Amino acid sequence: MAAIATRRWLRFRCKLCLTLAGQRAGPCGQTPSCRFYSGSATVPKVEGANITGIEEVAIPKKKTWDKVAVLQALASTVNRDITAAPYAFQDDPYLIPTSSVESRSFLLAKKSGENAAKFIINSHPKYFQKDIAEPHIPCLMPEYFEPQIEDISEAALRERIKLKKVKASVDMFDQLLQAGTTVSLETSNSLLDLLCYYGDKEPSSDYHFQKSEKSEELEEAAEENDEKSKKADHQFGVTWRAKNNAERIFALMPEKNSHSYCTMIRGMVKHRAPVQALNLYTELLNNRLRADVYTFNALIEATALSVNENMEDKWNNILELLKQMAAQKVKPNLQTFNTILKCLRRFHAFGRLPALQTFREMKAIGIEPSLATYHYIIQLFYHHENPSKGSSLIIYDIMNELTGQKFSPKDPDDDMFFQSAMRACSFLRDLELAYQVHGLLNTGDNWKFIGPDHRRNFYYSRFFSLLCLMEQIDVTLKWYKDLIPSVFFPHSQTLIDLLQALDVANRLEMIPQIWKDSKEYGHISRNDLKEEVLMLMARDQHPPELQVAFADCAADIKSTYESQDARQIAPEWPANCLNYIAVLFLRAGRTQEAWKMLGLFKKHNKIPGNELLNEFMDSAKASSSPAQAIEIVKLASAFSLPVCEGLTQRVMADFAISQEQKEALGNLTSLTSDSDSDSDSNEGK
Amino acid sequence: MFPRVSAILPLRPLSRFLLCSGGSEAPAAAIVLLGAPHGTVRYRIWALLALTKNNAQRYFGTNNVIYSKKDEQSAPTPEISKETESQESVKENTKKDLLGIIKSMKIELSTVNVQTTRPSSRRQLKSVEATIGRLQKAPEGVPKKRTKSLNPELVAAASAVADFLPFDKQTTKSELLRQLQQHEEVSKAQKDGERAKISVSTIISDMKVAKSATSRVSTRPVHQIQFDEGTDNYMGQKTDDLKKRKNMLKGKRLNIFDLKAVTEEAPETETAPSLWEVEFAKQLAAVNEQPLQNGFAEMIQWTKDGKLWEFPINNEAGFDDDGSEFHEHVFLDKHLKDFPKQGPIRHFMELVTCGLSKNPYLSVKQKIEHIEWFRNYFNEKQDILKESGIQFN
Repeated sequence: MAAIATRRWLRFRCKLCLTLAGQRAGPCGQTPSCRFYSGSATVPKVEGANITGIEEVAIPKKKTWDKVAVLQALASTVNRDITAAPYAFQDDPYLIPTSSVESRSFLLAKKSGENAAKFIINSHPKYFQKDIAEPHIPCLMPEYFEPQIEDISEAALRERIKLKKVKASVDMFDQLLQAGTTVSLETSNSLLDLLCYYGDKEPSSDYHFQKSEKSEELEEAAEENDEKSKKADHQFGVTWRAKNNAERIFALMPEKNSHSYCTMIRGMVKHRAPVQALNLYTELLNNRLRADVYTFNALIEATALSVNENMEDKWNNILELLKQMAAQKVKPNLQTFNTILKCLRRFHAFGRLPALQTFREMKAIGIEPSLATYHYIIQLFYHHENPSKGSSLIIYDIMNELTGQKFSPKDPDDDMFFQSAMRACSFLRDLELAYQVHGLLNTGDNWKFIGPDHRRNFYYSRFFSLLCLMEQIDVTLKWYKDLIPSVFFPHSQTLIDLLQALDVANRLEMIPQIWKDSKEYGHISRNDLKEEVLMLMARDQHPPELQVAFADCAADIKSTYESQDARQIAPEWPANCLNYIAVLFLRAGRTQEAWKMLGLFKKHNKIPGNELLNEFMDSAKASSSPAQAIEIVKLASAFSLPVCEGLTQRVMADFAISQEQKEALGNLTSLTSDSDSDSDSNEGK
Repeated sequence: MFPRVSAILPLRPLSRFLLCSGGSEAPAAAIVLLGAPHGTVRYRIWALLALTKNNAQRYFGTNNVIYSKKDEQSAPTPEISKETESQESVKENTKKDLLGIIKSMKIELSTVNVQTTRPSSRRQLKSVEATIGRLQKAPEGVPKKRTKSLNPELVAAASAVADFLPFDKQTTKSELLRQLQQHEEVSKAQKDGERAKISVSTIISDMKVAKSATSRVSTRPVHQIQFDEGTDNYMGQKTDDLKKRKNMLKGKRLNIFDLKAVTEEAPETETAPSLWEVEFAKQLAAVNEQPLQNGFAEMIQWTKDGKLWEFPINNEAGFDDDGSEFHEHVFLDKHLKDFPKQGPIRHFMELVTCGLSKNPYLSVKQKIEHIEWFRNYFNEKQDILKESGIQFN
């Protein structure tokens, strides 16, 4: 906000300078009739200023600046450097990550270092009393998490609740009760809040990073499979136990207001006890109390969670709840509708019509949908879609609606939208739509909604794959330069997609460069990628310069297989790769190395291809060396290849060979047939 | 995998002219062939295939550079070169296997980046182009005859080119001549102002240039995958649907809530935010948390954390005075109401306020306290003042 204001201000300044300069330069009569004042300070237009020559001075309203306004203005002048890693990764050059795995561990290491320091400071505050900073910097000082009030009183209880000490608060409440003191309704309610929010468990220490990681895993699981997610939730989250402290204290409370009921209901739903929650709601109604909108939201979720009902009943129950809200004059909010849509996702195809109606309802009563709303709709319409059937086109409507909008966070799921929209684009194979989504992402500060690292990677991989598939190669390469590595590190499949796009567009000369890049992004041990690179290079004949470059690249790939030996990973040489590398060496005239490759075939017990042997024969012929030719025949016979016969004949016909060599050849051929029969008989046994 | 391939193979000679005919069927067939022998299914091909089917111009839009760069007159040139080249490749390929055919197709298709797999052919292509370029200049110099027959000089030149090329001389020559003839007809037609008679190829090349920019907008390649499963009609239906169908986000609603009831302002009871609200706010703040983009962003973060001294945005940086404005600092006369209107005390106090108004180090509150102190002082010294005959109060 402030940055925009600042920019506007700068522009205003510039204009002002210009006008002033103009005034000075121009003749006196040309005083501008309009001066530029900032913001909303409306200036009464001075009519006829030229005639009177006296300008009325309107004092502009004082502008108040954010304390970081200057910094924001400066920050807005910095663009992304497409040649460098993101700013967050800039560090000692040795530590700058070059692959997605490294970047993840880099961030984790950084965060865990911070957390460790915080943990030490907070657990031993007495050693960190010296305040060096002047002026004082509170956030660097230890925080006190230990309660300071020792005696048994309501104030002590309030302090413990504030410090989120679940167990200590419950103990204090019990002691107060035993001493015969009554705890005020307000304090008991905030105690209930604490117990219900954390499900009667001590809150995990506030190490935000780890916590969010965990919840992300949950979400992913939820996306993959609803069933699985329930299990996962049970594993990670806390479940509501019957007769826990919250229920006990709730029962002990002499007077209860609607807040007590509401927080209990919300706690039950949060910790997956929907049946109890619905029962408590009936109790609340019996006590002639009213639930607030948050409780209704929780109840909607509870309705969807309940097990023994079919979708239609569930939907009717949700509608019933909404009608009760309307009857009790409870105003629904964004969360109400988002909760409904979130729950409707579980209904698959059945949920579509209700979802659309819900969406229209929220638009009709003037509640602005958030990104999460659209995310739920997209998921409902595209997630379980079978591509062979006709798929919905709702995303076009959504994008038409959203294009050009700027968003602020309103729902915890707002950061899922771009991922699911791009997934839908890639599902529909619509590049135009993908550009539209990407345009929306780059509107204003919307890029902040792309979510954490893995979601960003997903989004950009899908986007780039779509580009490889549909876009002209030059444009694709432009995107490649732009996005990689400054925005994301490509997955090996992304690179394979790019290679295939290069193949389709006949730009194979780029391949060595792509291989160099993929080496940098940590795909050295990706066999599928290496095989794709080699296959594309070896498939056709190319001009000599290109063949030399390809051979260099092949030698590089070969070295990756060899260096793996040192790391004691089983050196798995696929036969295809051996073939391709040998062919590439041969074509580039690196005959010696090619012959060494033939040795590798023997060593790893792989069988050379027929075309390869023929190419070797060609090269032997080119250098007119009958010894090499015979060597090839020997190798072929050693593997008992059927091509051996043909090779022998070629040697006989094409080379001038001595009598000895002829005999040796004759032996080889007979050996082959012998070994053939041998193996046959062995198999027979 | 490709049931169509065999069916289309015999049509291959036809596809040589595919760029001239502009038919949508032929390129599609060629692309299918292209993918087949490599064994790997390239999605890109599916995409192209569907595009071609969808709209012939769309295909030209993707590979169009040659056409947009050359002017109308020389537009037929690449066609000749392509024809000769495809022929050459067929000739050269003694194997006559499927792969060879495919390669020749590939050259035809990738009109722009004719980075073919055979270097020799490319060089020859250039020489052919150069020769033809020279030839094309010739007819302009020669006075045009109104007969159908071509200038004998041209015929001689064409046969020279054909000789120069290493493959079927007769075919090359006849093709070159045919092309030249066409060329002459076109220029004649244009001269007569009969634009209607312009050859099909010229029209098509026109269309390519004009359409390339807009083609993407007009069509949406929605269901390429389905297309290959033989549901051709489905595709057409869908694109129609896309244009005609109504916005799904508008229509019948639940009709539970009333707009008036919802928008009506309810008296908000001010209560301290509960734990639920605080935690929800924290969650929301985490939603658009992103790694810092640059050093300034980091400084902003530090400023907010309180680790960094605030960057000065005005003269009052670092001076916390409960938000009092400058006039409260400077105009202190209003605090002198209780003092006499004239006399030495007044004079003294005016000097005091003058000094205070120039003091940047005291807050407004402290300045007022200072004035207050003097009032008390003079009150205490009432008797002395009275003795001296000075009026206070």
